[in-house]
Amino acid sequence: MHSADWRKRGYLRVGLLLIAIATTGFAHSRFETRSRVELGQLQVPSADYVKLWSLGFDAAVADYFWLRAIGVVGAEQGAVEEQGEVLADLIDLVTTVDPWVSHPYRFAAVWLTRDRGMVERGNRLLERAISYHPLDWRNRYHLGFNHFYYLDEQLRAADLLEGAIGLEGAPDYLAPLVARLRSREGGLQVAAAFLVQMIESAEDEYKKAEYLKALDEIQIEERARFLDEARVEYWRRNGRDIEQVTDLLAGPNPVLQRLPRAQMHLDGFEWILDPETNQIVSSFYRIRYQLHESETDRQRKQEWREREAAAEAEGA
Amino acid sequence: MIGRIWAMAVNTAREAVRNKLLYTLLFFALIMMLFGTVLSALSYVDRERMVQDFAFSSIRLFSVAIAVFVGVGLIHKEVERRTVYTILSKPLSRAEFLIGKYTGLVLIIWLQVAIMALFFAGVSLLLGAPLGFAHLAALALTAVELALVVALATLFSSFTTPLLSSFFSCGLWIAGHLTRDLRDHGASSASALVREGTTWMHRILPDLESFNLSLEAAHQLPVAASDVWFPALYGAGYVAAVLAFAVMIFERRDFR
Amino acid sequence: MSDRAEIVRVDDLVKDVRPGFGLRVKRILEGISFRVREREIFGFIGPNGAGKTTTLKVLMGLIRATSGRASILGHDVSEISFRRQIGFLPEQPYFYDYLTGREILRFYSKLSGVRREHRERRVTELLELVGLTAAGNTRLRGYSKGMLQRIGVAQALVHDPQVVFLDEPMSGLDPVGRKEVRDIILRLRDEGKTIFMNTHILSDVEMVCDRVAIIVNGRIRYEGAIDEFLDAGEPEADLVFANLPAETAVQLEESFGARLRGHGDRIELRIAEKDSSAALRLALDAGAVVISATPHRVSLESIFLSAVNEAGAEGGAR
Repeated sequence: MHSADWRKRGYLRVGLLLIAIATTGFAHSRFETRSRVELGQLQVPSADYVKLWSLGFDAAVADYFWLRAIGVVGAEQGAVEEQGEVLADLIDLVTTVDPWVSHPYRFAAVWLTRDRGMVERGNRLLERAISYHPLDWRNRYHLGFNHFYYLDEQLRAADLLEGAIGLEGAPDYLAPLVARLRSREGGLQVAAAFLVQMIESAEDEYKKAEYLKALDEIQIEERARFLDEARVEYWRRNGRDIEQVTDLLAGPNPVLQRLPRAQMHLDGFEWILDPETNQIVSSFYRIRYQLHESETDRQRKQEWREREAAAEAEGA
Repeated sequence: MIGRIWAMAVNTAREAVRNKLLYTLLFFALIMMLFGTVLSALSYVDRERMVQDFAFSSIRLFSVAIAVFVGVGLIHKEVERRTVYTILSKPLSRAEFLIGKYTGLVLIIWLQVAIMALFFAGVSLLLGAPLGFAHLAALALTAVELALVVALATLFSSFTTPLLSSFFSCGLWIAGHLTRDLRDHGASSASALVREGTTWMHRILPDLESFNLSLEAAHQLPVAASDVWFPALYGAGYVAAVLAFAVMIFERRDFR
Repeated sequence: MSDRAEIVRVDDLVKDVRPGFGLRVKRILEGISFRVREREIFGFIGPNGAGKTTTLKVLMGLIRATSGRASILGHDVSEISFRRQIGFLPEQPYFYDYLTGREILRFYSKLSGVRREHRERRVTELLELVGLTAAGNTRLRGYSKGMLQRIGVAQALVHDPQVVFLDEPMSGLDPVGRKEVRDIILRLRDEGKTIFMNTHILSDVEMVCDRVAIIVNGRIRYEGAIDEFLDAGEPEADLVFANLPAETAVQLEESFGARLRGHGDRIELRIAEKDSSAALRLALDAGAVVISATPHRVSLESIFLSAVNEAGAEGGAR
């Protein structure tokens, strides 16, 4: 054969190779690049099924699904609560295959707050955690917090926290916290104490901000209560009520030297008298805090109700 | 007798040592361990434990792969290539031949596990991850599981082709990991047939989950001596039975 | 000769096989019997597929006979321990190619129970015997077919057996290799060994074997000493002359019944051996030049072919 023929053949081959590469690259570029989480298509296999088929690789299989769970939270911060089902399924899967894991239980409890049902799923996971790690105070603490903070079940919370008292690493304030929960008094301090601990242990900035917001509200409420006391003093000294909050600073013998901030972090808010209730309120919140009736709580409960209604409508 | 079995075993081990496949698999197992290290970085908790979990799984996965894929050719290849002719014309019984081949492969697989275990220990020490009795126990029972898998592969290899043998061996290995859970699920079934069926499957098929201490190793849970000894005894008995069966089949074969 | 001990004894050996999965049974050995006596080189000959290798495999315990008995050195072939005294070279032997020549012989000597203290010496001796001393540390993967055949011979002899079974020992060897193997076989006989050899290369049989059995279609057709075979019938001689006058040729034809063939100026004639001296004298007197005078033997080949043909005719009649 002539060398020219060989050359022709060589060109042909290179040509075919380039065409093949181009085709492959084109097809590949058309693939869906968003993750399944983003597409909302993540299918979590049944926990029992995965446990059956883990073939003795239980620990690694659990680790794998734990990484997927982290992926769900990491995918889109704001939508984590929307992915509650997937997250709950994944953590249920992880803790079914490897119930001896520690962290994923609390991870689930922290994120599963979308509605009452989710909180209850989170609580069931925490109960599983307690049965496998009876000596770990943190699971009991989280479960107590959930019962107190989301479900408004103070006595149940007290019972759970009581079980954590004296366990290794448990903070000292658990005992007084339990006593306060039992007496149904000092709800504000209880909530603050709970939140401080939750903030301390929170690994996620988003979740931490949420707790901080709740804590802010409690701190503003504490200041409002302080101003209430000052208002009473004003009445005692002057024989009449204030007409505006700044009255507390007025006169030759003012009750207060200056007013505390009306918002913990933002400027431009002040203390005002609510025209309806005649209570001292922060112009930021415009309403006085009540345990389980706070702005955060109301918002959450409103959302829960809407979701439940939607779910019912869907079910019907 | 021991001398002849040992000569067979040493020779089988030498074959494996001179076979590039094993080095390839060993290499991939080590790569898998490194991959586990990378993967574990995605988690923000328990990273060291996850590295260990993935490393331990690599050890098991690759050892089982070696056990099956070398095991299924163990006897068949000898017959196919007619090397068996000269060997069996020596004063060596077929049982000695088969047990020698089996012993050689098990020893070489155990050696591989030991090498990978050393690597595992090295990585653990480097990361400051805990090493304890549970790891040792889990490795020991993995070794028993492997001995059983090799025995099954040898059994199939004594009468059928490597391809079918690998299907059978892999199938039995998977089934062996399912029987315990299947029995538990079956126990709640309304059908007596399902209940009895799953119970008998669990009794007859190898109960490989009894060798699974992966969670104990992962979390350094306490392991009772009986959790090691009884499975080990069970494994030894099962291996003996499978090999006896293999010998019975092999002795009846004509090498035409 | 028949007072020698019987080393191999085969009686009414039958082997049935099922070629497929069905019930159809094919009989490949139809009740064969033969004896191999001490210090004999026994040639087991037959066409391909006649049952030679099957018989040998029954003797080696590799397959089981359907019925009949086979024993070696007085032991039933299903026994194990007497194999210390036998050596076996299979047809086209294949060995672990990841071992070196020296390693494989060491391995076989261990299996055969050669004592540790003799092992290395024995291995070296055998490498020397089969001419593989230089290749002793090369892996078998790098061996040629002939070298593999030689290592096969070496492994069959490594434990110094009393009886050696060889399946087609010369096939696949070049002429030099064949001569070497032949020499080894003859040397073994001189050392007092008994040799059983399967082959279809008849010239080798004629050169080395003392006794032969011809097997065709699973039956023994002939068994006997090779001389008996060849001495059957009147011995003849072949004489070749140059310059043989035509009238002398006619005279030879008429008085001795000689059969003549011409090759140019040469004349070849076959004549009864007892008449050869008289014929030679007559031709020399007539001025012919003697080119050669050789005794003519009935070739094994013709016997072999007639056995096969006979079997074919029987098979056709069946």
